[in-house]
Amino acid sequence: MTTTVSVLHCQVVEDEVWLSLLELCQACGSERELVLQLVEHGVLEPQGDGPASWLFSGASLQRTRVALRLLHDLELNLPGAALAVDLLDQIAQLQRELRAASSGH
Amino acid sequence: MQFKDYYQTLGVARDASADDIKHAYRRLARKHHPDLNKEPGAEARFKEIGEAYEVLKDPEKRAAYDDVGKRWQPGADQPPPGWDAGYEFRGGDAEFDAQAHSDFFEALFGRGRAQARSHRASRTPPRAQDHHAKVMIDLLDAYRGARRSLRLQMPSFDAQGRVSLQERTLDVAIPVGVREGQHLRLAGQGMPGFDGGAAGDLYLEIAFAPHPLYRVDGRDVYLDLPLAPWEAALGATVDAPLPDGSVQLTVPAGSAPGRKLRLKGKGIPGANPGDLYVVLHIAMPPPPDDAQRRAWEDLARVQSFNPREAMGAKS
Repeated sequence: MTTTVSVLHCQVVEDEVWLSLLELCQACGSERELVLQLVEHGVLEPQGDGPASWLFSGASLQRTRVALRLLHDLELNLPGAALAVDLLDQIAQLQRELRAASSGH
Repeated sequence: MQFKDYYQTLGVARDASADDIKHAYRRLARKHHPDLNKEPGAEARFKEIGEAYEVLKDPEKRAAYDDVGKRWQPGADQPPPGWDAGYEFRGGDAEFDAQAHSDFFEALFGRGRAQARSHRASRTPPRAQDHHAKVMIDLLDAYRGARRSLRLQMPSFDAQGRVSLQERTLDVAIPVGVREGQHLRLAGQGMPGFDGGAAGDLYLEIAFAPHPLYRVDGRDVYLDLPLAPWEAALGATVDAPLPDGSVQLTVPAGSAPGRKLRLKGKGIPGANPGDLYVVLHIAMPPPPDDAQRRAWEDLARVQSFNPREAMGAKS
C-alpha cells in the first residue's frame, strides 16, 4: 500500500536548527549518556551552561552520526572515535584547499 | 540465491578463532568504511563485511551458517531443502534497516525485528524514532528550489509488534540554497507514533548528482571555461553558461590558463550566497589548414617568447 504525503515545509538543519540534548539524541538514535561523553571528549561543543540548557548547532547532527557509526562499526572507543572525527574534518579541509589550489593559481 | 562465503569475505580460514575474525573485520572495516573511504563501491563492500562479521562473531549464528554451508552443493544456486528452518535466534540488536542485509542473510536469519526501543518505562507516551534517508538532487535544484518525490520504505507495526514494510511517497519541497551534505528536517515524517506518542522526524541528507559543467565546493561553484589561444591573448567577451542562465563574460587580455574570474554572489543562493568561479583554460583549435598554418607561422616569427626560460632551456 502506498500513501503519498506532501511536505511543503522543511528546515535546513545546518542553517536553521539548534538542537536540544534530547532532540540530538532522538535525531541520532543515541543514548543520552553517549552524547554526554561526546561532549566530554570535545567532539561536540554545545552552547549553554549545562545539559538542560545545551543547544547543539545543526552541524552537530552529522558529527554525532559519524562518531556513532565509527564507534559501532569499527568497535572504537570514545577517544579513538573523537580523534577520527577530528582527522576526518582535517582531511575534508585539506581536500577543499587542494581543490581550490589545483583549479587555478 | 547465491551462497555467501562469509569466511572468504573476511579473508579468514573456516576454523578461524573468534579473535582472528575480530581482527580481520576491524582491519577491513577501517579500510572500507564509507565515512573513511569515499570511493564508489566502498559502502557496498562495507555492508558485505559487516554482514559476514555479524554472522561469524556470534557463535549461534556461526554454527547455523556452518551447518548450512556443509550441506550446500558446490556451484548450486539453490539451498538444500529445509535449510532456513529450525534455527532459532534471540531477537538480535540489529537495527531495522530495509537494505541492511542480503537476501541470503534474511533467508537464513530472518529480518531484524525492530525493537520498539524507546518503549521503555517512561511516564509520557514515547516519541517514535527519527529516520534518515539520502536524497540526490541536481545543482540547479539548489538554485531554483525543486519538488522531489521520494519513495520510502517505512516499517510499520501491528498490534502484536510485527513489522511490515509500507511504501510511502513523500512529495518534498527542496528549499533554494540547500548545499551538499546538509540535512533537511521534515517534522513528524519519521517513524509513526504508537501508544499515542508523537511521530518521529525524518532527516534527509542532500547529495548533488555530478554535473558535467560545474564543480561545487560548499556554497561556491566552479566552471571550467575553455578559451581559444587568441581569446586569452587579446581578451574577449564570451558566453559563460551559468547555472541560472548565460552571462556575457569579459576575459581580460593576457589571461593565463588557470586564471580564476570571480562572479560574486553567483554561487549557491541564500542569505549568504556563494561565489561562482570561472576557471580559464586554453583549448587548441583543430589541425590548421594552410591559411591558418601560415598565420601561426607569422605569429611565431614575430614572437621571441620562450616559455621554458625559467627552466634554463635556451629554446
